[in-house]
Amino acid sequence: MYQTINEPIEIAGVYSKSTFTPKKFRWRHKEFLIKTITWRSDVKDGGIRKRLYSLMSANELYRVEFNRENETWSLLEMWIE
Amino acid sequence: MKTILHIDINSYFATMLQQENPHLRGKPVGVTKSEGRNCLIAVSKEAKKYGVKTGCRLKDALPLCPDIICLPAQFDRYLDATHRLKKVFHDISPDVRIYSLDEAFVDISSCLRYLYSDPVDVAQKVQANIKKELGEWVTCNVGISYNHLLCKMASNSAPKGEIMTVTPENKDLLLASVGFEDVCGIGFRLGKKLAQMGVTNPYQIRFYSEQDLLPVFGPFWAKELLRIGYGEDSHNLTLLNRELPHMKSVGRSITGYRLHDSEEEIKAVLLNLMEEVTHKVRRMNLSGRYVSIYLNGHDQHWHAHRTLQYYVRHTKELFDILYNELYLNWKRRFKVIKFGVRLGMLAPISEIPRPIFPSWHKQEKLSEALDAITEKYGLFMVRPASIPKENIIKPEVTGFLGDRQYYGL
Repeated sequence: MYQTINEPIEIAGVYSKSTFTPKKFRWRHKEFLIKTITWRSDVKDGGIRKRLYSLMSANELYRVEFNRENETWSLLEMWIE
Repeated sequence: MKTILHIDINSYFATMLQQENPHLRGKPVGVTKSEGRNCLIAVSKEAKKYGVKTGCRLKDALPLCPDIICLPAQFDRYLDATHRLKKVFHDISPDVRIYSLDEAFVDISSCLRYLYSDPVDVAQKVQANIKKELGEWVTCNVGISYNHLLCKMASNSAPKGEIMTVTPENKDLLLASVGFEDVCGIGFRLGKKLAQMGVTNPYQIRFYSEQDLLPVFGPFWAKELLRIGYGEDSHNLTLLNRELPHMKSVGRSITGYRLHDSEEEIKAVLLNLMEEVTHKVRRMNLSGRYVSIYLNGHDQHWHAHRTLQYYVRHTKELFDILYNELYLNWKRRFKVIKFGVRLGMLAPISEIPRPIFPSWHKQEKLSEALDAITEKYGLFMVRPASIPKENIIKPEVTGFLGDRQYYGL
């Protein structure tokens, strides 16, 4: 099941060929290395454009949101078996 | 002769959730419309092996497959994935018809002469590109034929992730081997009627003449069934080639979590739905003059409509007719679970003479201001006080993508 988190996170990544690729994020003072991006979507909440990433880190899945208007990152949900 | 590809993503909603989450791959997954819903709107191929079908209720699925994992759909993300699919299809051919959220017809006839030598190669390329764009877990069926009916029938009946080609030479074999559930346009009730006549596949329809079919199915379906029997495009599929300048109607319905008996709640839900309908209509610069409302209870329903002499596009106008005139004049005798409103006979606002009444212009200005806020901050950022914040029904895409023009697909 997905556990709702909705907390701000810091993210580091690589910007190459007009695309930003997240590589690691920090949440609750802990760093998580991103192994794969399993799904990336561009969605709109009204006029607010958001990019949603589903990220695998150490065999855990995290749903992360980038708000493209105020350029903030949030951890929305994580998968718990 | 045309060459058309029908591409159908296998168990789209469930597959995308499995693509997203490797922990779900290979496991039976059921997708509900939202958290707490009971109807499975999609099931993964693993769940289908247990006999769980799309549309079945969770309580019916659990005895068949106790390990089924149920998750809410991610409609915004599916819509984005469909936009990506559209790009994949446009890389193959300019002639693309998005048929639903997970299906498309791609006509490659004009490209075959110079670009492609073999349609099967094109189908394989589409399959590979879809995996590249959406992920390695995503598979699709591709049906190849010379008309829409046969290529859709081929992709429906092909094994998961496979390609099937139907030619004039082998079409009869396909028509004689598929059930009506794989035939576009023939629903459950029509299939049942045909079964009562001993007809269980499209080929058998040929054993009857139009005169035989006429008393049972009526003039439209008698002709239509014969066309299907001979593997010709059915009427609704021929409409795919028709360019619609604008949407003909915009509707919105919702099934509640429980039966509603409170007038306040019913009013709030209807107003919420009307807000969405009129916003969409205004956003497409349209206006309509056919209004309808329907309410379903446990086993009863009520429907009312009105064709107006003038066009409406504001929530207040729609609410005055649907709620104040039609609904309040009806004596409600049952608790309501399903609500629906529709604004039809749409026409571009530029082609309609604007009313001279100052009240209309006041409403138009108000709507323009509200639409500007909505465009920036989202629908219902400003809303009538009678719609409680915690019960807002937000817009959502549907699988059959009836509002594909609104979403630019």
